[in-house]
Order: sequence, then C-alpha cells, then structure tokens
Amino acid sequence: MGATVISQVTPTQGVGKGEGLTIIVPVKAAVPNITAVRLDPVTHNLVREGVPLMLNPYDRNALEFALRLKDRYGGRVITLSMAPPSGKDFLESTIGMGADEAYLITDRVFAGADTLATSYTVAMTIRKLFPEFNLVVMGEETTDSTTAHMPAQVASWLGLPYLYYVVDGEVNLKEGTVRLTRYLEDEGVFEEYEFQMPVIVSVYKGSNPPREISLSRKIQARLGNLVKSVTNNELKLDQYCVGLRGSPTIVAKIEDAKPIPRKKQVFKGDPKEAAKWLIDNLTKEGVIKP
Amino acid sequence: MSTSRICPEWPQVDKNEYRGIWVYVEHQNGVIKDGSLQLIGKARELASKVNVDVTAVMVGYKLGDLVKELIYYGADRVVYVDDEALAVYMPHVYASVIVNLVNKYKPEVVLFAATKRGRELAPYVANTLRTGITADCTDLDIDVKTRDLDQVRPTYGGNILAHIRTPTRRPQLASVRPNVFPTPPRDTSRKGEVIREVINNLPKPNGSLISIKPVTKGDSDLPPVEKADIVVAAGRGVGGPEGVKLLVELAKAIGGTVGGTKKVTDAGWLPVDRQIGQTGKTVRPTLYIGVGVSGAIQHIFGMKESKIIVAINSDPNAPIFEYADYGIVGDYRQVIQALLELLNQRRAGKGS
Repeated sequence: MGATVISQVTPTQGVGKGEGLTIIVPVKAAVPNITAVRLDPVTHNLVREGVPLMLNPYDRNALEFALRLKDRYGGRVITLSMAPPSGKDFLESTIGMGADEAYLITDRVFAGADTLATSYTVAMTIRKLFPEFNLVVMGEETTDSTTAHMPAQVASWLGLPYLYYVVDGEVNLKEGTVRLTRYLEDEGVFEEYEFQMPVIVSVYKGSNPPREISLSRKIQARLGNLVKSVTNNELKLDQYCVGLRGSPTIVAKIEDAKPIPRKKQVFKGDPKEAAKWLIDNLTKEGVIKP
Repeated sequence: MSTSRICPEWPQVDKNEYRGIWVYVEHQNGVIKDGSLQLIGKARELASKVNVDVTAVMVGYKLGDLVKELIYYGADRVVYVDDEALAVYMPHVYASVIVNLVNKYKPEVVLFAATKRGRELAPYVANTLRTGITADCTDLDIDVKTRDLDQVRPTYGGNILAHIRTPTRRPQLASVRPNVFPTPPRDTSRKGEVIREVINNLPKPNGSLISIKPVTKGDSDLPPVEKADIVVAAGRGVGGPEGVKLLVELAKAIGGTVGGTKKVTDAGWLPVDRQIGQTGKTVRPTLYIGVGVSGAIQHIFGMKESKIIVAINSDPNAPIFEYADYGIVGDYRQVIQALLELLNQRRAGKGS
C-alpha cells in the first residue's frame, strides 16, 4: 500500500491588475497575564470566562509586516481569529492598527480545539472567504501556549510553501513573487528565499516593531460594526474535523512546574568586598574562568 | 478496533500497525545537530521500554558518511533520502519526504529536535499525517500498556507542566528542546542497517534559496544576547546610556554581551534587538547578571532558565533577588568598578 499524502501545491497565480496584495493575518487572543492563568480541573483547558482577551503580542509584529507590504505595494490586509464572541474587541484593535477588515470565527462547535483543529478551521475559512489571497502572515508563536504550530499547519492544509522567522519581504507584483529574508537565531544566519505566491509567512518575533493602535480607528471599528462574525452556518465544516472532536491531542495531566531552585545569597556592604565575594562564588560555580 | 466516526480528512489508522521510534536528524554543512544526537539517546531508552528499534532519518544531498554516524550514536537503523533536489532546504519539500517515509514504515513515534528548523518542519509533517504534535518538550516517557507517548512541556509562561498525549492517532510527533538530554557516547564498533530510499513524487518547491549571510555585528562588537554564554542585563536602575556604557565594559571584561529590559530598549539606551523578556528575546546563558533590574515578571520570563543568576540592585526589596543565586545590594557603579578592578588584576596576574 504505502499511500502517500503529498499535498498538491496549488497553481501559482499572478497578482490582480493594479489591485495590489491580498494579505490574510490570522491572529490569536492571548491571555495577557500568563502568571494568573486558571485551568479547568477536568479538561485542563484554559478557563476563558472572565479573562480579558488581548491580541497576542507577536501577532502585532506579523500585522506590522503585512501593513508595511500594503503601504509599499497596495492592496488590503484582513485579520481573522477563531475566538469566543468577546474576541470582537481585540479584533477591533487590529483595525485600529491599520487592518482593512476583520473576521471573528466563532461557534460553539469550534471550542476545545488543539492546533490541528484550529489550523483546519482557519485554513478552511481562508479558502472559502478569500481564495484569491497572496500571502498569509502569522506571528511566530503565542505568548501563552508558544507552540509555533499554526503557520506550518495552515500551510499543510492549504498545500502551500511556507517559511518561518521572516524579518523582511519584497514583492514583485508583475511576477507574483516575494523575496523573504529570515533570521535563524540559533544558527546566527540570515537566509533569503524567493517564492511564487501564494505562500505562508511566519514573522520573527524580534522584528517589525508594531505601530501604535489608533484609538479613533478602533472606535470607528466599534461604531461601524466593522468586525464581521463568521459561524459554522456559513463555513459548513464537518463537526468531526473541528473543536474537541477534531483534536488528536489531549492534555492528560497538568502539574505546577518547579522553578529552578536559587541560592538567594545576598551580600550587603562594602562594594570592594561585594565584588570579591561575587567573583569567588562565580569562579567556584565554574561560570567564569579563574 | 472502534469504528467511531472521525474527520473525513483523516485517514483511518490502525494503531497496532505502527511500531518503532524514529528520530529526524538535522544537519547543516556536514555537521549533525547536537539536539538530534541527544534524541537518539532518549529514543533508545523509550524503545527498550516497549521493545522496538530506533530508526534515525536523514534527508539531504551528498550525505556520505554522515549516515553511519547515526549508528555510532545508537540508532539500530538509518533510513535516508539523498537527492540533488534536496540540496536546498525547503520546509514543505523536506516535510513531504518525511511524510512519505512515515507512510511506508509506520513508526509509532517521530521525534524532532526543537531547533529553529525543527520547530518549522515538525508541525507540517504532523498535520499532513493528520496526527497530533507537541512542541518544545522537556521530557518524554512511554506508557508500556497503551504505547502512548507522555509528552511533557512547560506552558503558560513556564508555570505549568502539561502532559500531552495523542491516544487515538499514530504516529505521535514531538519536538524536544536541545540540551535537555545528554549526547550519547559515539561507539564506532556499533553495527546497524542503513537503507537508502528514493522518493519520486516530491512536491514542487515553488521557490528557491537566494543567499545565506552570517549575522553582521553592526555597530556593536558584542554578540547578540541569544547567543552569548554570559549576559549582563541593564534595567531602568542604571539611569541612562552612561550607565549602559559601564555595563558594556563589564561584559567585555568577562567575555559576555549586553542586553536590557523593555524599559531600557524603549528608552533607546540599547537597540530593541537586545531586549530580554516576554516581548523580546529569551536567553538561557550560563551566567546572567541583572544590573538595576527590578525583576518585573515580563523580564523574568525571558531569563529565568539561566544557569546562574546574579542581581545587583540598590533596592534590597527588588523582586529580582527572589530569582537570584547571588545578590548584591548597593550602588551598581561602585560594585562594577570594583568588579572591573578585580578582573583586571586577575588578567594582569595571569600575564606576569
């Protein structure tokens, strides 16, 4: 047998005449204070009720990357997020930052999803609502769950090339290509790739410092009801592919992480003696050479 | 086997057909990544618990003798693909090769080192196989009865350890942080099977690698914070750019580099690529010295896994002392001057 699951890369496409780029930026509501997290004692999932939702900080770098491309080459930037109904607020802040449209993907059937089910829901939403997209741009990871799975998984569902840790991009509208520079922190190198669009991009979290959120734009988004909701009535995804049932992983157990024990030795007094005390201890620890 | 309904996008999987522990081995410029070798060691331990073999998998071009090394480090078998079309690393192409091999051999576990490339590659492989994956594990175990992989990872800022399982799908994929397991000894007398596979239906790359450039140090001759063994970090307590200069002097004297809290990079006293913390870089140096750093949780998040933590602060109640191995309460200028003198004396003493 040995059937192969090679995904077919969809035919490359040029970029619409004079219309610029269509850039999709999927974002996530992260828990703002990761030290005050409460987990459901049964499912071990995050308790989201009563927790204010905040735009994942690294998604702002991704949105900045997308907005810079839009500023240079024209087009539109669309954010979307799978979140509870209260997610409207943080999506308004993506419009406040400069996104043209925002979509809240919200339905009870999507709840309890792991990264496979979430990426499926996001990828199918993109395919259904914006089949003409040129780039999907995402943050490197989220500050709360830090898996960095989503960009590769969305790429897999859509059968497209993808690249992580991207810091810069340059588009050739006529050729429909994009040059991406990425930074590999652990190898200390920059790599430059060229892709035929569409392509999935994950933006390095230490790049593209985000612009301010314009409060007046955010208020306009609120008053004009600019964040549109999408439910599974429109998407019609198989309920066994989404939410808890579409999630192969389970959290079997959680425990408190034991922090690294620290010696907590403190020296107060003469600076010269303090310096000697420190150098002696660090030499003993073997972290500085005698 | 249960015939309960599953997502039609998922292939039916018979768990009993899947046997063996795989390690995807990463290599760059003819050098095997340590994180991958460490996983061969851990895979051996898991494999012996459930009585199966360890297979190391390598993908690339002109691999030569590199594949034999994997036997020396403890693999029972090597499966590799050596093809000119794989001379350049393309994430979706490499991932598709691994998917092909998994579908042919059906291992129950596939492990990746959580390097930057490993974290990029593994989720595409898992997703294309429609199975679960756990990122950045710090420990692994295997349940002898269910053969479920117990995947342990820190989450929510490292305050919680989650044990993740993939009970109904195979294979089970995980990426594992480098340096949590030791590198097994290299034994050139070990023997094993080496199999070369040929993949005929590689996906189109739809792109190409144009250039690779090492990071230039720019205007600073100090290494980036994420690559240094010793990091001297400035907090708001250093007072301004003049204070940062003194820290640079200390960093140079002990062979380290300089970073800072968000307050410091926001103020422009250091460039933003030297910011340590939740919205900046995460560092795990052997020695971290926080100077005038109060210890806000967002900064602690980015340095708490350092081997030794030193805090120098004039405020004895600064929270950072709770995270420090060695703390000095005092004026940082005087303490650093004294440290510089001592370090200079030691150097002079060695030279004579």
